This record gives sequence, C-alpha cells and structure tokens, in this order.
Amino acid sequence: MDWLEEELRQALERKDPPPDFAARVAHATRVDSAAGSGRVVRVWPRWLPVAAAVLLMAGGAAYREHRGRVAKERVMVAMRITADQLNHIQARVREAKP
Amino acid sequence: MKPIRSMLLAAALAWLLAAQQFKFNLEHLEAKSSDTVDISLNSSTLQFAAKFLDSKDPDEAEVKKLINGLEGIYVKTFSFKSEAAYSIADIEGVRKQLRAPEWSRIVRFKSAEDGESAEVYVRNADKRISGVAIIAAGPKQLTVVNIAGSVDLDSLSDLSGHFGLPKLDTVQPGKPKKPE
Repeated sequence: MDWLEEELRQALERKDPPPDFAARVAHATRVDSAAGSGRVVRVWPRWLPVAAAVLLMAGGAAYREHRGRVAKERVMVAMRITADQLNHIQARVREAKP
Repeated sequence: MKPIRSMLLAAALAWLLAAQQFKFNLEHLEAKSSDTVDISLNSSTLQFAAKFLDSKDPDEAEVKKLINGLEGIYVKTFSFKSEAAYSIADIEGVRKQLRAPEWSRIVRFKSAEDGESAEVYVRNADKRISGVAIIAAGPKQLTVVNIAGSVDLDSLSDLSGHFGLPKLDTVQPGKPKKPE
C-alpha cells in the first residue's frame, strides 16, 4: 500500500454524524422553505380545532340564551302594558256602575 | 338593484305585519312623544320566548298559558309632555278599522272629567275570539294594543291578578258595558 492508497482510505472512511445532526437538518429545511415561499410555517396544536368548535358551540348557545331572554322581556313588557290597561279600564267601569 | 331591494323590504314588512290585524298608523306621533314603547312580536318570537318563561313564576306561568296559540302581540304606547299632542283623527284612524261584523266593541268608557277614554274590541271568527284590540287614550298618553290569535278572555282578564295589579271582575264578551 503506497501513500496514495492510505490517504484515500482515510478520506473515505465511514464516520457517524454528530448527535444534533438530524435536528440541525430539520431546522435548516424549515428556515429554507419559509424563506423560499415567503410565508411563515406554523405548526398548530392538535387540540386547537376541538377548542375552536367548543368555543363556537358555547358562543352559539349563549347568544340563543340572550335572544330568548330579550324576547321573554319584550313579551312580559307587552303583557304588563296590556294588563295595566285592562285593569284600569275594568276599574273605571266598576266605578261608573250605579 | 333598487326595485329588488324595495320588493324584498316590502315582502319582509308584509311578513312582519302578517299577523297584525289592523294598522296602527301612528308613527308620526313618535316625534311628538317624550316616551314611546313599540313592541311587535310575531308567532315564532312568542313561541321562542315561551321556552324561556318560568312555569314556577306566577306571572310568567300565566303569560305562558296565554301566549300559547297567539299569532302576535303588538303594542304601541306614547307618553307626551303636554296635552293635545295627538288628535281625535289619530284615534279614529285606528277605530275605523275595527268595524262589525269582524270586530265588536265589548267595553267603552269616556270620562269628561279627566279626559280619559278607552275601548276594548274583540275579533270574532267561527264563533270564537281571534283577536283583541285596546285603545286607551288619556290627556298625555295614548296606547293601542292588538293581541292576534286565539285569545282566552278569562286568561286575559286573569292578568289583572298578576304583575302586582289587583284582581278584578272578568270582562264578558258580547255584553257591552256602557257606563257613560
């Protein structure tokens, strides 16, 4: 084996990568991809759609409850006015009875 | 585009007023009044509201019983700071729509002393009461009510025992009282 063969053997020898190699490659890929497309890539938590659905349902129920209470108050005011008028009319009619 | 919008608005208004049995035509008084109460409740709103009425509360239970079968409740009340803010013609515009044979007046009173007057009409359809109209006028107040639909007069008069009002005699339909 001459000196050239020895140099080639050392240069082509199999070496294990450093421990953070995979993480660095993944990071570099994300940065390159974001820079290339012009948008930021976000990884959303898996529970987010469920939380959004729960919030929407709760909001819808609260809004329905609010509308129901408003409608109920309007009915009660209308009935109170009607009752007040009828009561007044009946009282006046009774007063006028001989 | 404008004609379509107008048609849609007219259709929406017609749908809203479908259950109302006569027109109030009193919008012009709003500018003169110090306080106005304008309530328009159609059948679907009444049924929706009924779900939120508490059967354990005496007032709400009575109202819940009464609105079952109603097609609408329409109330307009004006309060004025001075007298003569509205005219007899304003009341006549409502009164002329409440004519026989559709409508019959069951109660009327008029006081020359304090200038108050009130009338109660019922609408008859197929030998049953299908609506009630109230016109109550005072020197500084005017109220018009239309309760549309199948009205139980006993339940309606029972309202006088609720809302903190004293219990009074039942108004009997078909027996006009003339205290004047």
